[in-house]
Amino acid sequence: MSILLNRETRVLVQGITGRIGRVQTKWMLDYGTNIVAGVTPGKGGEEVEGIPVYNTVAEAVSKQGAEASVFFVPAGAVKNAAIETIDAGIKLIVIITERVPVHDVMEITAYAREQGVRLVGPNTPGIITPGEAKMGIMPGITFTPGRIGIISRSGTLAYEISANLAIADLGQSTVVGMGGDPVVFTSMPELLELFEEDPDTDMVVLVGEVGGVQEEKAAQFIAERTTKPVVAYIAGLNTPEGKRMGHAGAIIQGGMGTPQSKITALRQAGVPIAEYPLEIVGLAQKCL
Amino acid sequence: MRMYEFEGSDLFRREGIPVPDCAVATSPQEARQKAEAIGLPVVIKAQVLVGGRGLAGGVQTAESPDQVEEVAQRILNCSIKGLPVHRVMVARKIAVTQEFYVGVTVDGYKGTPVAILSSAGGVSIEEVARAHPEQVVSRPVPIATGLVLSEAQQMARKVGLDGEDLAQVASILHTLYGIFRKYDALITEINPLVRTPQGTYLALDAKVEIDDSSLYRHPNFQVALEDSIPNPLERRGHQIGVTYVELDGEIGIIASGAGLGMATMDIISRRFRPANFLETGGAITEDLLYQTMDLVLQKKGLKAIFINVYGGINPIHEGAKGVVRYIREHGITIPVVAKALGNRQEETWEILREGGVSVVTEVATEKGIERLARLMEGGV
Repeated sequence: MSILLNRETRVLVQGITGRIGRVQTKWMLDYGTNIVAGVTPGKGGEEVEGIPVYNTVAEAVSKQGAEASVFFVPAGAVKNAAIETIDAGIKLIVIITERVPVHDVMEITAYAREQGVRLVGPNTPGIITPGEAKMGIMPGITFTPGRIGIISRSGTLAYEISANLAIADLGQSTVVGMGGDPVVFTSMPELLELFEEDPDTDMVVLVGEVGGVQEEKAAQFIAERTTKPVVAYIAGLNTPEGKRMGHAGAIIQGGMGTPQSKITALRQAGVPIAEYPLEIVGLAQKCL
Repeated sequence: MRMYEFEGSDLFRREGIPVPDCAVATSPQEARQKAEAIGLPVVIKAQVLVGGRGLAGGVQTAESPDQVEEVAQRILNCSIKGLPVHRVMVARKIAVTQEFYVGVTVDGYKGTPVAILSSAGGVSIEEVARAHPEQVVSRPVPIATGLVLSEAQQMARKVGLDGEDLAQVASILHTLYGIFRKYDALITEINPLVRTPQGTYLALDAKVEIDDSSLYRHPNFQVALEDSIPNPLERRGHQIGVTYVELDGEIGIIASGAGLGMATMDIISRRFRPANFLETGGAITEDLLYQTMDLVLQKKGLKAIFINVYGGINPIHEGAKGVVRYIREHGITIPVVAKALGNRQEETWEILREGGVSVVTEVATEKGIERLARLMEGGV
């Protein structure tokens, strides 16, 4: 088992006929993902890698029983596509797309909460349950099946930490990229709760970075609710104030969003902090 | 995209928020003409895209035409936090009986807009919120319905207003929320909103930042790149499509991914100092990495380059070709160390090795930095 995604999950790919949609569909299939349908408006009737393409999400749901969707949809089309997907009854949506307008993200968030739909992203590498399935763009090669849950604000850093853990024979149950934008659909505490309830996850690694308050909120949740061990690394100890560090959400502004504030909050919640990414391995070994 | 105060004021006026008579000037003579048309005394304000200009002497009052010229000259000749002042705003000086803070911004954690009102304006709202939380009212706004006027009125009542004052301030907050939504703002803020002795309200400042990701639907908004990114290397990075942040060290960094880039900086900082942060994004091509090498090598005093990339969405073998082509064409002799993992990694290593790059095949960035240190000490 795992959280959010497993080998049975019937996955829909939206934007499947685009350049990136096609390549990533192939790689997700190669990894073992149970992709059942694609959607691109106007391209219904085509096939990509043998997967049938439909014009609407409703068709993909009724004809192929799609239950989760991964988006390679252009930024300006994400809002309408997300609302269509929620209305069609899909319960998990992963939005890989970068540069989705923040107001659109807020509108989608409000609608998804009302309808009880889980979204991950935007601007995320996606979700991978190693050895079973992936909804996203991460290279499968850096992940290994196991019992550690990873929640990461950064994509490539999650790849590196997962690969470091694999060398020490520590695999992952599920790895979730939260997305690098100032507003993301699913918070760190929400993901911690999913891992807390997952019988196949023994501990959680948090990979945070400067900006925002996700890590501080996670610390509060851990202090109050979590029984499984949690360890963390926070990237950006040497970040200058007022500079966006590649992610729109990774910025220290007016003294807010500093790594020190996150590290202090997590330490107070009893979370051991790795000073550098490789130290996560040793901290994880001590917990298990 | 942060707007200049004069652009924000203009937007406020068009959308129905009262602002004082004002004009923009680029020379002392022009400032004098504009001041005479508006009527003295006036306030002369530096137009720069940073906060704290008042403390830096960028906001001053002038009583006479001669003084306008003199003050405008002084402000136009100075720079504020490293930004040269090219324009001043000349605004009618307003008599003030009370100052408020009115703002709408994004609560990134909750994923909703948030409306904020305070009876202590004219100072940093963060400080007021820390020292006197009872003077600040803040409400998350459900985005589907928006900020309804009765909610704005309740907020105004909570900061101690009633009667005509309550009506005016609530209406301004309501309008400000409308501007925030209409223009895809990350923040719309009036600090201070002032009450005049006549009992009217005016916005004496205008802070507006538009979400860059939404600019495609607001084609009329444009800020010159020189103004929004004053650092020439950071501007060049923006032009080629990467995020570059100049730092003061000697090791150049090229990383794919923001978190990986920051972690690389943290690890390098244990023994050396990073010369830059650089994140390529997910669209690596041969040409992009060629130009990225050129950008990183612009930095004076560079002693080595560390490349840290993952092939997930990125074709790293294409990037490798750009790196080695740059090294060959420019005869680069400082150590270049690369850690490249993911899809097509073996092919990538081959290309890099042939081009004289020291390739690290281990996973941990820490190991890559150890290699870099050995090379810098003259080892292999």
